[in-house]
Amino acid sequence: MPIHEKSLIRPEDLTEHEQLEIDGVDVSGHWSTFIETRVVSDYNERMEEEIAALPGGEYIHRCFQCSSCTNVCTVNDLNPDFNPRYWIYLARMGFEKELLRDKDLLWQCVSCHKCTHVCPRDVAPEGVMKAMATWAELKGHTEVKPAAAFDAEFTEQIVATGKIEEGRIIRGFFKRTGQPLNQPWLREMSLRLARRLPILMGLKMALAAVFRPRTRDWDKSRAAITEYIAEREDANRRALNLD
Amino acid sequence: MTDPILIVGGGPAGLGAAQALSAIGRKSILVEKEAELGGAPIISGYAKLVPSGEWAKDAIGGMVQRVAGSDLVDVRLGARVTEFAGTPGSFNATLSSGEQCQVSSAILATGFTHFDSINKPEWGFGTHPDVVTTVQVEQMMSSGKGVYCPSDGRVPDRVAILLCVGSRDRQIGREWCSKICCTVSANIAMEIRELLPDCSVYIYYMDIRTYGQYETEYYWRSQEEFRVKYIKSRVAEVTSDGNRLLIKGEDTLVKRPIAIPFDLVVHAIGMDPNLENATIAETFGVDLQKEGNIAQQFSYGGIGLTSRAGVYVAGAAVGPETIDDSIAQGQAAAMAALGMDGGMVAPSAAAE
Repeated sequence: MPIHEKSLIRPEDLTEHEQLEIDGVDVSGHWSTFIETRVVSDYNERMEEEIAALPGGEYIHRCFQCSSCTNVCTVNDLNPDFNPRYWIYLARMGFEKELLRDKDLLWQCVSCHKCTHVCPRDVAPEGVMKAMATWAELKGHTEVKPAAAFDAEFTEQIVATGKIEEGRIIRGFFKRTGQPLNQPWLREMSLRLARRLPILMGLKMALAAVFRPRTRDWDKSRAAITEYIAEREDANRRALNLD
Repeated sequence: MTDPILIVGGGPAGLGAAQALSAIGRKSILVEKEAELGGAPIISGYAKLVPSGEWAKDAIGGMVQRVAGSDLVDVRLGARVTEFAGTPGSFNATLSSGEQCQVSSAILATGFTHFDSINKPEWGFGTHPDVVTTVQVEQMMSSGKGVYCPSDGRVPDRVAILLCVGSRDRQIGREWCSKICCTVSANIAMEIRELLPDCSVYIYYMDIRTYGQYETEYYWRSQEEFRVKYIKSRVAEVTSDGNRLLIKGEDTLVKRPIAIPFDLVVHAIGMDPNLENATIAETFGVDLQKEGNIAQQFSYGGIGLTSRAGVYVAGAAVGPETIDDSIAQGQAAAMAALGMDGGMVAPSAAAE
């Protein structure tokens, strides 16, 4: 084994050629092991600005790395790799590659807001986490999460009628995520609901499901909401220099 | 006690003392070794001062004019004190011109010497033309030329300021914090960002000591309004890739080695004791403290008392000091020299 303590090197920094011959010498397999440099060779100077331009990220520049956010973090308690303080530093200084190593953790924030409550610098770290996840998604670093499909269905119904109807949301969500409607837990839940729900309430729900009532004079509100969403999405994309 | 009071040094502390003495109608003799008054802020060409943001040539220049224009202050430029004998109330000072002066007491406002960055060769000063000191950047700004790379005159895209160059460094016998460099660096960083909005400024630090009110006005304003970046790292070396400068070190918060290109690297140089302190101490018969500054006798009660009765000290002669505090100490020393020294007595006087 030509490299000792290989376990200390991040696996993505190790490359090997299965078949490689150099000057007539067979260096296949571990004989051609190459270690990528660990050295950070540049800052992404726009990164802090980009995240600050997304909703929730506005106050990222105030952070002085006290780690109050990480100390109270609900998710950090379960997974020590979930470290808002560290990510805020990376984003502020422009360590883009370092932050992207954790791209599959960023969105796991449960928005309990404990960090925002304790932060002595009013950074609102919960908002920053949201902005970072949005940033990673808009930049194409992470795929759209199932939760986003739920949000989309929810939003569409609100925009259409000003109301939501739970049954429809569940059906829409299942459809978007390619799940069958006939699931044991759902069947069980429906049965119990049918058994225990007051009759009038059940009737009301059934009516709502069939006739899809709308909030009175919804059109004006819908126009305003639609306009705001479009504005916001446009601003987000412009902030990130997309399109 | 109608003899004038001798003030040695025409910087902020000396000017403060001279101003105070002439304000109450007491004569003084101000001896300055350089050809002009003003001390470091004028002679080294500082730009905008902390904390008021006034230009040094206006703020300190104004003091110089008031002092030089006062009938009660006798200014001797390009002169030194070579001998100093006598007792409190009746000293005899000999100047380098041969002139003899009868003075009642003396105030040493002899200041400091800027750290010479050549003593930290690993950080590239003297090797790479685009490695400069905070004093040089001050001069660039105060001369009106703006901030540029000395090698080819181009405007920098990215500037690094390295803190604690010549401070807090046992390797080179300088254990002290120079007190002013963090705030001065934040001030310079904001000025660069104002002059060159497209230029990014990074400050490499170990601790930040923008003490007191400077926390909000300099440390945070530089980040919140001017987007200056602070990297916690004492860099290992400054080299060049042939094109730009390369800062190598570790980002200690990420635990990763860094090798980042920069156009201009600025050393935030510290304050050394005045190079001439040994001579000054011998001439005036006063003690130095272990780091080579003029030793003060008391921290409280009496300000500015040296080990010799009738000889007082003010400003950066006692250690790293800000300009505004130096002026205040000059005024305090003036009061002490007038006999209002709070009843504190220097040990040598107590022995007599």
